[in-house]
Amino acid sequence: MRVDFVKAVELVLARDADALFVTGDLGFNALEGLVAKYGKRFINAGVAEQGMIGLAAGIALTGKRPWVYSIAPFATYRCLEQIRNDVCLHQLPVRIVGNGGGYTYGIMGSTHHALEDLAVLKVLPNMQLFFPCANDQVAAAVALQAELDGPSYLRLAVSAYSTERTPLSEHPLTLTRSYATRADRSKPGVTVIGAGHGVQVALRALAAHGLDRENVDVFGVARFPFRLAEDSALLASLLETKNVVFVEEHYAAGGMGESMKLALPQFTAFSLMSASYRPDQRYGSAAFHMQQTQLTPEALVMLVQTQLRAT
Amino acid sequence: MSEGLEPAALARAALAIRRQFLRMHHEARSGHVGSGLSAIDILTYLYSEWLRPNDQFILSKGHGASSLYATLHHFGKLSDAELATYYKDDTLLPAHPAPRGVAAIPAATGSLGHGLPIAAGMAYSYRYLRSTDARVACLLSDGECNEGSTWEAALFAAHHRLNNLTVFVDANGIQGFGRTEDVLTLEPFAKKWEAFGFDVSECNGHDFAALHAALAEPSTHRPRCVIARTVKGKGVSFMENTVDWHYWPMNDAHYAQALAELDRAESESFR
Repeated sequence: MRVDFVKAVELVLARDADALFVTGDLGFNALEGLVAKYGKRFINAGVAEQGMIGLAAGIALTGKRPWVYSIAPFATYRCLEQIRNDVCLHQLPVRIVGNGGGYTYGIMGSTHHALEDLAVLKVLPNMQLFFPCANDQVAAAVALQAELDGPSYLRLAVSAYSTERTPLSEHPLTLTRSYATRADRSKPGVTVIGAGHGVQVALRALAAHGLDRENVDVFGVARFPFRLAEDSALLASLLETKNVVFVEEHYAAGGMGESMKLALPQFTAFSLMSASYRPDQRYGSAAFHMQQTQLTPEALVMLVQTQLRAT
Repeated sequence: MSEGLEPAALARAALAIRRQFLRMHHEARSGHVGSGLSAIDILTYLYSEWLRPNDQFILSKGHGASSLYATLHHFGKLSDAELATYYKDDTLLPAHPAPRGVAAIPAATGSLGHGLPIAAGMAYSYRYLRSTDARVACLLSDGECNEGSTWEAALFAAHHRLNNLTVFVDANGIQGFGRTEDVLTLEPFAKKWEAFGFDVSECNGHDFAALHAALAEPSTHRPRCVIARTVKGKGVSFMENTVDWHYWPMNDAHYAQALAELDRAESESFR
């Protein structure tokens, strides 16, 4: 998604003279083009995330609109108080971009995983979260962020189960994607929802693990706060199936699944597949971590089948 | 900057601000009295002499908010009606500055170490993005120079040659739980700022002529830091140089004595 992001943000910088780019000393082999082209509108704040967010807020107070980039864990946790006080309380158009959401940076180790980023940011006042489902959704998310007068966060990631599946539809504002619809709407079904790149687990399950033989609707959500009232296709599916399996590459506590469950009618059956931190945690590729935490297409298919049998 | 500095006029203004400040705290029964008293002379100088219409001031030591409110009121930037709401329900003037509260206060502070990064960002924008000659002043406490984020911003300001940024440190030598030298040694303080790439002056932060002189040095390409040596609780003998008056509110007797001391100081200075 990083390549798609750089392309999209370049369009914003070209179009909006008040936009600028700030990095926390990351972006090697990706941002060099911006450095050359944008001069003083490109700032390397150094390895100093608190200062980076604070100065971006100061710049925004002068009427500018900074994009602030680092890897997801660094762009969010160390500087959380700066995001809360300097950006969110002041309702400033600071666009924070975290690369490597979830287990993207697998073998880099736990310090580089971002499995709480959406949780800590979603509670902040005025904050809007964008977590694209796939590379081909990054430009739409960036374009929406560019229109906001207030704070936002963009979570870029690479899924261990990346597919090239084309969505059936995408809502222009909520960004919710429909990826598959039930063969028989009169029969019991399950609504599978993936948060951001977490939906790729479901897409792989559709393509290669038999999920397509089950009576499922598959959606990807990519924006928080949710706007379910506008998501008519998703809403219709939820009301019909009353049966949800939610997949996210994020811890359960504070995640998007938790918020989705709260937004649903109480009678909805709800299962959550999410990341976990194990006492016997081992390290490997993103795929290894997904296996270790049982966030796999095979596990999803089994969960869907179990849930269908229970209806 | 005005050529003909009139220290006596500034002293009168600072006295009036101290009276207003003490009245506010007495009425509200609010703390942080000592921290405000140490900053009032610096604030008086800034608002009387230094800040031009497009310049910005960031109070990084947010616990000094009431001293800023009293100063803004004195210089006509806060109304009587606004000031009357201080520390009351439904106010925009809480104990620490509120976000988007009043026009004259661009940033909410109160958690220490936030003001200088914000000020440095503003200065960067004015210098390089907006190309205006607007300047930014930022008032830090010495205690908040414990915060790493303060030094992150110092690195940034020096690297980008933000000579439109002036940092004032209200160096009263006392922080939350003791003297700065006992909690975390800052000295050699001026050398630290110099080493970070600032033009540094040290002066008595209650002496207007000294503050004026500290700022009169010719401008270089570097940001400036004025270490204003101050007395916490300045102007009220029993509050001076104590940790206690960081926290305590005044009772009626305290208030009466504090006012009497200001009256006495006035009659001695302006006889």
